[in-house]
Amino acid sequence: MEILILLLKAFIVMQVVLGLASFCTWVERKGSALIQDRIGANRAGAYWQPESVLLKPIAVFVRIFGMLGVINTLLNDAIKGLFKEDFVPEGTSNFMHCLGPFMAVLPVFLAFSVIPLAPDFALFGYQIRPQVAELHTGVLFVLAMGSIAVYGVVLAGWFGNNKFSLLGALRAAAQMISYELALGVAVATLVISYGTLDLYAIIESQKGFNWGINPLVNPTGLVTFVILFVVGMAETKRAPFDLPESESELVAGYFTEYSGMKWLLFWLGEFAEIALFSAILVVFFFGGWQMPFLELPENVWWAALLGHAIFMGKILFFCVLQIVIRWTLPRFRYDQLMNLGWKILLPLSFVNLVVTAAIELI
Amino acid sequence: MAIAFYILALLIIVSALGVISMKNPIHSAMCLIVTFLGVAGIFATLEAHFLATVQIIIYAGAIMVLVMFVIMLLNLKYEANTTLDYLFWIIGAVGCIAFVAITSQLFLNSMLVPLDYQAGSVGTVANIGRVLFTKYVFAFEAAGILIMAAIVGSIVVAKSVKGREE
Repeated sequence: MEILILLLKAFIVMQVVLGLASFCTWVERKGSALIQDRIGANRAGAYWQPESVLLKPIAVFVRIFGMLGVINTLLNDAIKGLFKEDFVPEGTSNFMHCLGPFMAVLPVFLAFSVIPLAPDFALFGYQIRPQVAELHTGVLFVLAMGSIAVYGVVLAGWFGNNKFSLLGALRAAAQMISYELALGVAVATLVISYGTLDLYAIIESQKGFNWGINPLVNPTGLVTFVILFVVGMAETKRAPFDLPESESELVAGYFTEYSGMKWLLFWLGEFAEIALFSAILVVFFFGGWQMPFLELPENVWWAALLGHAIFMGKILFFCVLQIVIRWTLPRFRYDQLMNLGWKILLPLSFVNLVVTAAIELI
Repeated sequence: MAIAFYILALLIIVSALGVISMKNPIHSAMCLIVTFLGVAGIFATLEAHFLATVQIIIYAGAIMVLVMFVIMLLNLKYEANTTLDYLFWIIGAVGCIAFVAITSQLFLNSMLVPLDYQAGSVGTVANIGRVLFTKYVFAFEAAGILIMAAIVGSIVVAKSVKGREE
């Protein structure tokens, strides 16, 4: 039974990640159209008029979804990806070529296994914690998966057997290593102020107004939030930090040589990464499922559901925020990127760490 | 737990053999990553979560990324099919025999503590931190200074080479 619960938890978390990634895909497509004053995807399914009377009620929903572009971005693109030719360039091994997209997706999904998605609850006599791996070092595990995620990019770039891929991969690896330092120091600052590495305990300690970003509770929280937000944007390799895949110079960067479903896997990984990063921000700074003026009763299943809904709402807000930033800001120059990482963010995060430690001591 | 150990041990040995037998340097590097991940898995089965995650962050994450980086930048070619000298065979054999002798000596004298999967109660982050900053603080600081010297040294070397070109 224990194993069954664990499997169920893993399955549900996977569905949550896929759902968040799908939502991000749709917002990216339709939201970018909104920002650029276009109409965007609104054709597939929007004109469906079934002959049978029985299908009419379904047709209403299908047409609404079609007009919103949901069918086009989520269903049609996936089917198109599945049926496209799976092209493997000459001179590389098929296995290694497949490993790239796989390694781009796997660490992100694994990192979600330590994020508690709802408060504890009891159901049918079982005490359930909605977290797949109850690690005491959850914060470090997320960092570890972040450092593993570099391999997806590096492998894709190398086994693409293409100069553009390799250049993109080198840029991506350099960028991710550079920003990982500031990321680690910022997370260390948070660990100092929370005094634990357990993500569940971190959320529990942010009851009511005690959100991590509240300056009365955590004086340096706002600075840490800014650092972590910029670093996270860079780690997800999206504009304004999208030099690894800059279309105007490198075709598509590290995934130039990928087509069909493999290419879609890279996108899935990228959107799951956005969702993961939003979830981390919510856990650290915005109290997870905690809301001011809302005391969730403990160990009740509907309270867990409500908490999960609050958590998801916050995550979706940050997903949308990141996508809006991606479609608003232009790309950095390479030296600006490196200067921001090494000369501004890293010293700032060190100062922040020392100040936080001093405040904690007093 | 025993099954997990045997699976991980097999994975580690196979991938470690792969590191030395692969012709392509990037394949060897990939095998080394798998080896490190396997070692992290063994730490995890011993309930030493902190060691496992740190193993992934430092070895599989940071060091191997740098190794891959170097392989890519230097654009290493396939290793030439060299036949080994007899000298290398002799040195290798002596090393192997010495290793087997030492480890068997350790086993026979039972100097190794059996694994009882109890690291979870000892190897917590708080305990490791406390020991690191009290009992082993000198070794910790010495390691820090050593790494600092290495960083400064590498920067000095890189800068001097650049200056010579100018």
